[in-house]
Amino acid sequence: MEPCMLSISGGAEAVLDLQENSSISVAYHPLYGPHDDLILLELDEKLLNDVIHQRVFLRGHPDENAVFCTQSKTYAVKFVGSSNSVLLIPSSNQVPEDGDSQYGNQKKCDRDVASVIKLAPGHLELVEIAPKLDKIKLLLSENPYKLEDVSAMEMEETETKKIGLYRWHDLVNEVQASEEELKSGLKALSAVEIGGHWRLVDESCIGMILKMLLHNSVLNDWTLSALDEDEVLNVLEADGFPRNIAHHCLSVYGDKVNKGEGRCVWRLNERRVCVHYARDVLRDGRMRIDQFIDEWKKRVPEEMLANFEMLDGEVLKEKLGVETWVRPFKVSSLPSDPSERFSILFKERPKWDWRDLEPYIRDLSVPGLSLEGLLLKFTRRVQASSEAEPVFSAR
Amino acid sequence: MQIQLKCSCGDGSCPEWAIIELQGVVEVQPSFQDQLQNLEIGKLCRPSSQDVYTFTVGYHELTGTKVPLKKPFLVLKKVKLGDTEQSSNNDSADSAKVELEVVGIIRHRILFKTRPKALISQPVVKERARASGSIGSN
Repeated sequence: MEPCMLSISGGAEAVLDLQENSSISVAYHPLYGPHDDLILLELDEKLLNDVIHQRVFLRGHPDENAVFCTQSKTYAVKFVGSSNSVLLIPSSNQVPEDGDSQYGNQKKCDRDVASVIKLAPGHLELVEIAPKLDKIKLLLSENPYKLEDVSAMEMEETETKKIGLYRWHDLVNEVQASEEELKSGLKALSAVEIGGHWRLVDESCIGMILKMLLHNSVLNDWTLSALDEDEVLNVLEADGFPRNIAHHCLSVYGDKVNKGEGRCVWRLNERRVCVHYARDVLRDGRMRIDQFIDEWKKRVPEEMLANFEMLDGEVLKEKLGVETWVRPFKVSSLPSDPSERFSILFKERPKWDWRDLEPYIRDLSVPGLSLEGLLLKFTRRVQASSEAEPVFSAR
Repeated sequence: MQIQLKCSCGDGSCPEWAIIELQGVVEVQPSFQDQLQNLEIGKLCRPSSQDVYTFTVGYHELTGTKVPLKKPFLVLKKVKLGDTEQSSNNDSADSAKVELEVVGIIRHRILFKTRPKALISQPVVKERARASGSIGSN
């Protein structure tokens, strides 16, 4: 490629710095063409820093709509066409290389010419969106960590069952989200990194460990609100559970309490433990409410008080004749996309009281849209009188 | 799959490109359709010290202004890497066949949105044409 004569007054600069009483010729660039590989992206000034420091990634598979990700946020990329003629003029020191037209084209880098390299059909714009985190659960459910894996680990089997195993880097490539949002997503699912792979621990596996923990707490006279981490892990390890999985169990059902002096103390979370047992009781589907409560209270540890309000977003009550029944309906198994979420909710029940609906939508988050906004967009609200409870149905 | 947006501009010094924006379409005479390269489109003038510009294309004169963009545009270049560039290991999640690089930034455009003014020839010339026309119509 012939080197362009370095000229300060040619190209875009000549246009932008055009002095008063002067003119410049605007011409088609020697390499004028469609140049579909040149794309305009509208970018908020505050994202410029991230771009300059190369902290921005485009993520998505060919069959997905690409998203633009910074370290902490995710944006949809939309093409906005223009009916105007947008003449694109490069900076004078810079000419996009085009292998095909290297031959035979006289490059004119005249100081009096501003050259148009292409006509831009439009530009890309960014719209902040909620990260698409549902895929994490989909992927990690391919190969949940089960009790059988415990012994497999002990034998250090390396190559077996590599299907459905994802490392952090694999998840970054598969999930359309920023890294921070991905981290939060993993945390919300109580996923744990084992042997370099992120795993969901099978419910019955973690339930078994909890059972052993509670069993041991009775045997050893531990206080559930002040469990000593080392003591607990040592005992569970002796029972055959890997230390990191036992630790994971503590983090799922408990909260760390800062006691200082280098001791790690945990307090079991009453709600999380009780919810676990409620799910256990309802394993086979629905039950009459009085039966359910009886059974539930029996299974919950002595020190804990099972309270129906804990089951917001976990179960639904329904009246069948004179009886009230409960059945499992977990918000955590519903899609995070608002449109899909409301669709499933209204399929489940055509009409919802606010009191019943709220736990199933309080986790919805769409940038730029409040909960009221979401309700307005996806539901029809009917209120019989000013004192009556509003009822929501599909739009 | 992920593609890193590369930028070798250095701190805030991306080459600045420009946009001239017109309503309507620039038409090239049919005989020049295949030889657009280097063909002049028009003349851009700044008659005074104000940010007012005229753009003369053929016999039309457009008047416009230099407008800062609400949000800057980045000019990105998509590069398709050849097969030899792909990494040979099994972990192909990283070896994207496409790279995206920032090659410029646009902060202003010269926007023309008024009706073009037709530049008509002088009355004297018109009369002569009429005269010659009458001779020709014999």
